[in-house]
Amino acid sequence: MTDFLQLTVAGLSQGSVYALLAVGLIATYTVRHVVNIAQGDYATLAGLGSISLVTAGLPLPVAILIALVSVTLASVLIERLVIARVKNLTTLVSIILTLGVSTLLQAIMLLIWGAEGRRLPAFPGNDLTLGGVSIRSQELWMLGALVVVGGGVLLFYEKTRWGKALRASAEQPVAARIVGISPAVASVIAFAIAGFVGATAGVVSSPIYLSIWSGGLLLGLKGFVAAVLGGLVSFRAAIVGALLLGIIESYVAGYVASGWKDAVAFFILIIVLIIRPAGLVLRPNAVRV
Amino acid sequence: MSLLNNAAIRSKTGFWPNNRGTIIGVAVLAVIIAIVPFTASSSMMNIAVFSMIFALPAIGLSLLMGLAGQVSLGQAAFFAIGAYTHAILLQKFEQPALVAAVGGVVAAMLAALLVGLPMLRLRGHYLALATLGLGFIVMIAVREWDFTGRTTGIYGYGRPEVFGIPIDNNGLFFWFVAPFVLIGLVLALNLTRSRAGRALSSVNDSELAAESLGVNTYALRVKVFTLSAGFAGLGGVFYAYQVQIVSPQVAEFHVSVELLLMVVIGGLGSVWGAIAGAFIVELLSEGLRELIPAIIPGATGEVQLIGYGLVLILVIILLPGGLYQVVKTAWAAIRRRMGKRADAASRPVPDGTADAGAGDVPTRAFGGLPGESAASAGTEGLDDTTDAAASAPRIPTVSTPIAAGEPILEVTGLTKRYGGVVAVDDVSFTVPAGRIMGLIGPNGAGKTTCFNMITGAIAPTSGTVRFLGNEIQGRKPHVGAEAGLTRTFQNLQVFSSTDVVGNVYMGRYRKGRAGILRGMLGLQGREQYTHEEVARDILDSMRLGDVAGLAAGDLPFGRQRMMEVCRALAAEPALLLLDEPMAGLSGHERELLATLLRALRDAGLTIVLVEHDVAQVMALADTVAVLDDGVLIAHGDPESVRNDPAVIVAYLGTDAEEAEAELKELEEQS
Amino acid sequence: MHRVQRRLLVPAAVAASIALALTGCGASNFGGDSGGDGASEEGPIKIGAVLDITGVGANLGVPEQNTLNMLAEQLNADGGIDGREVELIIKDNQSTEDGAAKATTQLIENDDVDLIIGSSRTGPSLAMRPLVEAAQVPTISVAANAAIVDGSEWVFKTAQNDLVVLERILDDAESKGYTKVALVRDATGFGEGIADIITELGEERGITLTATESFEPSATDFTAQMTNIRGADADAVIIWGITPSAGLAQAAYVQLGVGKPVYQSHGVANDAFFEAAGPAADGVIAPMGRLLVADQLADDDPQKEVIDQFIADYSAEFGSSPSSFAGHAFDAWLVGTQAIEAAGTEPEGLRDAIEATTDLVGISGIFTMTPDNHSGLTADALIMALAEGGRWTLYEE
Repeated sequence: MTDFLQLTVAGLSQGSVYALLAVGLIATYTVRHVVNIAQGDYATLAGLGSISLVTAGLPLPVAILIALVSVTLASVLIERLVIARVKNLTTLVSIILTLGVSTLLQAIMLLIWGAEGRRLPAFPGNDLTLGGVSIRSQELWMLGALVVVGGGVLLFYEKTRWGKALRASAEQPVAARIVGISPAVASVIAFAIAGFVGATAGVVSSPIYLSIWSGGLLLGLKGFVAAVLGGLVSFRAAIVGALLLGIIESYVAGYVASGWKDAVAFFILIIVLIIRPAGLVLRPNAVRV
Repeated sequence: MSLLNNAAIRSKTGFWPNNRGTIIGVAVLAVIIAIVPFTASSSMMNIAVFSMIFALPAIGLSLLMGLAGQVSLGQAAFFAIGAYTHAILLQKFEQPALVAAVGGVVAAMLAALLVGLPMLRLRGHYLALATLGLGFIVMIAVREWDFTGRTTGIYGYGRPEVFGIPIDNNGLFFWFVAPFVLIGLVLALNLTRSRAGRALSSVNDSELAAESLGVNTYALRVKVFTLSAGFAGLGGVFYAYQVQIVSPQVAEFHVSVELLLMVVIGGLGSVWGAIAGAFIVELLSEGLRELIPAIIPGATGEVQLIGYGLVLILVIILLPGGLYQVVKTAWAAIRRRMGKRADAASRPVPDGTADAGAGDVPTRAFGGLPGESAASAGTEGLDDTTDAAASAPRIPTVSTPIAAGEPILEVTGLTKRYGGVVAVDDVSFTVPAGRIMGLIGPNGAGKTTCFNMITGAIAPTSGTVRFLGNEIQGRKPHVGAEAGLTRTFQNLQVFSSTDVVGNVYMGRYRKGRAGILRGMLGLQGREQYTHEEVARDILDSMRLGDVAGLAAGDLPFGRQRMMEVCRALAAEPALLLLDEPMAGLSGHERELLATLLRALRDAGLTIVLVEHDVAQVMALADTVAVLDDGVLIAHGDPESVRNDPAVIVAYLGTDAEEAEAELKELEEQS
Repeated sequence: MHRVQRRLLVPAAVAASIALALTGCGASNFGGDSGGDGASEEGPIKIGAVLDITGVGANLGVPEQNTLNMLAEQLNADGGIDGREVELIIKDNQSTEDGAAKATTQLIENDDVDLIIGSSRTGPSLAMRPLVEAAQVPTISVAANAAIVDGSEWVFKTAQNDLVVLERILDDAESKGYTKVALVRDATGFGEGIADIITELGEERGITLTATESFEPSATDFTAQMTNIRGADADAVIIWGITPSAGLAQAAYVQLGVGKPVYQSHGVANDAFFEAAGPAADGVIAPMGRLLVADQLADDDPQKEVIDQFIADYSAEFGSSPSSFAGHAFDAWLVGTQAIEAAGTEPEGLRDAIEATTDLVGISGIFTMTPDNHSGLTADALIMALAEGGRWTLYEE
């Protein structure tokens, strides 16, 4: 039972990273119908960046703040320089295009930071043991980040006028214009949000999972699997899906074989796409704005 | 008269003119292949060898992307399955080399068929992502499975001799693999020009229209997917042979990305481009691995990725047609220059408008998802000036499977609900063979919905549609089409990537038989020529013969509509469904069409038309059905329908007097 | 436009690219001058190396590459071997098995090398074995697994055998009265077969293997494996991997509070282990060569002089002290060049000369090869080291 709970804790913390990335993916997908393969690379970029800043002597919070802002800007820059340059960008083309962006980002990280994985110092806090289950304080930080940042984005999109208009801009550009958002601005805002959320995932997870130049792809793809569980539109379903994915992966690693862990997400992806493309969402029509 | 038009009219006869490009191209490539091992440096030779190996999966992927309009991010999976199967058959089962090689290809194709059956129901980006997932699963499976040697893989099987010759150096291996690449190239080129290839490229223009002509899109996609995997498997076999170890790295995602890059660089869907792309990517990879560490000291690892990323982004932004587009544009410029000298009168074809049935079919993948592309409206400069008045056109062949008067189409209780809204409510009627039935009703009455349910474009919530005694409701449009039910569209669905005759040729799809295999082997020339001749005859009879070679999208709107009718007639249907065929036609086009429809009816064809122009319907139809708010409110001969009070109220408004007045007007018109 | 002719252009473009690419240097692509198995007795001596310079094995491959480059330079500065210059051709296998196979094929078919060194890890080394055996090129691997040389005529290795390493670990465990051990191993070639060896060797010592878990060398999260190990019934745990993953596994082990003594393998004999494991490294015991504890060696140690010289040279050249992997490369170079000096580059003669290596003092130990023993080291080559305050110290059991 202790083992089961231990695996659940590990799964939840891993799932919180997937959840943040899924939130970022949905943020751009709902606005721009772009599937951003580079979403996970935002995380590694922020992780590696903050590690360098800490190594350079900056205090941890300052380093993290700079990394978050930089990656947010980088995401906007990518939107302006790459995404916005393609006319009639279909989702399919966006996958190939952002695959290029992801590859480029990875190569740049490899050249700057080298092939070794690096670790950000753990955030302040004490690890605790509850009934034999060891919980790292960092894991609480990760879940906390999900609640604050992921929840924040969710509320922004679902509750605020701006957020609703943003979501509408993909299907109803006119409605968005009424609130005063041009499609271009909507796209920039969405990518800024995606950058920030991805970067958050990167810095909170770096102390446990390390940041390595090539790590973002798989992270991003798993975030995508979670987003598909949310039908690519529902933040809530995607977050639940991400946490579930993390937990299932953890059980597979613990009870089946650790090597198969990474395959779980893709089995789920294919099965969900074939059987229920609308994801976990109960009433798909009701969620689509 | 444009060059293209000349070419289209002149060609299509005989083997040599039709295959000249392929033959000369392959001959040039063969000469290069023969020479390279004597002149290339050893490192260049290594690049050449691996570009040949990877050209095979790249050709497969380019077929998938160009023909089927599907992007696979998991091509490496099939490459790996081919390689592993070959290695395992050699090493663990000690099979002869030939058996192992064939086994590798077959295993890759079988795997593709198995996963393709469910996965190819997905569309666009969903399929791309599912294939990506598949790639990861295969990679993890071979890494974790004892049978595939886990992380180390399968090794120690050596290189079997070929006809007693040990292939123990790069030069010989190059000569060994190159003929397979050439054969693969020819097969792929043949396929793009075949019946199946042209059908798939039509699917990319308008899936609905292609399906309505009898194209079983799904089956063709599964076949191309399987074929594409076969190419990948063959590449994998050669890889396993050359490298003598197969480890999970061959299944890794970056291999799929490399293959994708090859196809994107080469020009999506261009088979020649895939080979050029393979060479360029291998060269880029080796070059960057040398170059980057020289520029940035201490740079190690997969530094070539920086080039991959940059090239991928730049090609998509600046050069979506890839190398193929560059060559095409350059060649057009050369032609223009030469053409001016040779013939001052000839004018260049606007770039990228027509690419009819040529060896390379540009994909729709980058233009929009299949079915998204609508026909462009009429363009300037091609005014319909040929005046043939309303003299009766020649009648294309029609099929009359049952006697006139027998029920050919029976609709019973047809209902469609969208959520709480009932679009069509319990509609039943029977259409006797050899008659024209008009389906009318106010806007939003459910005419087109009804039409779409009959043709299979949408599935009814309940009710049955019997065509020639067989229930076809809820089946894909190609099911009805194969049995002889063909339609036109209210919103035109022309195949804009081909010319007018190419569109009408697609109407002949149902009459052809050649499948993918015959297409690849180039064994369907005669059949294809026959059908093209028929297509031309139909165009001539409809006074469209003069524009046969033009890009379909360049026709004025009215002529596009006529072309769609020609396309539908080319299928020699037993039942023709026309969705607002008169809309957008000029007065004399309408007359021409009306005359034609009557003549066709007299020849035994059954016609159902949805029409806005009530007067036209009343004049043309033998029976008329009226829909209002999804309910069939009247059905009978025009006279009785015209006098039906329910129709008058529903169709013309609640004011009886006003309706009366309108009705008078109608009567006067007819 | 004549669409038929348009299609000619792509092949024309391919032709142009290839024509541009042709260097015209006329190198033979149909094998070496004598088929790869009868290298020239004149001209430069060609030594090829296939190393994990990039990828997961980079921690091993890079110092090995440094070492070989340094030694080749030194040797040529001293006039080469018998007046013949030594040409060292190093190829990166990208830490992959197929990369190793490709590189080896190139070395054999294009470069016609006399001797091959590599690879850094077991998987790629196993991938090379059939190739060099078919081409009959003497090869010295710097990886550890005994399977690399088992029954091979042409392949040698200089890293300590797993078997010997495990003997030392189990001897120590036995002396402490442990009867049950659990294993967390690398999922690649380096860790394959380890469980079987432990079971076999444990039998004589009354030690049983109670649980086995594995991890990818690229893994960063070890919670699942360590949770299972925590639940396993064991007196001690053997973590068998290379850095950085073995170090990360160690950190997870401590964090999850498993709390049993840990043995690690010789795969962690470098400083990168301490970077990855952090303070969690303290208390780990691992068998390894003397290089890492050179400063603590007795003055009369027969290897001391060679080791000190190597450390001095390497540090002067690269600004850091060498890892044991650098030592394996040094030994491979030493064994190889000594044999060439004795027998020349004729393949069979060279192989026989390597098999005749006797009491050759190297970095990892003192080598004595025979036709049946292509590994050449005994358990004496290993010392037990204890991780303490971020460095390895000599541990006397």
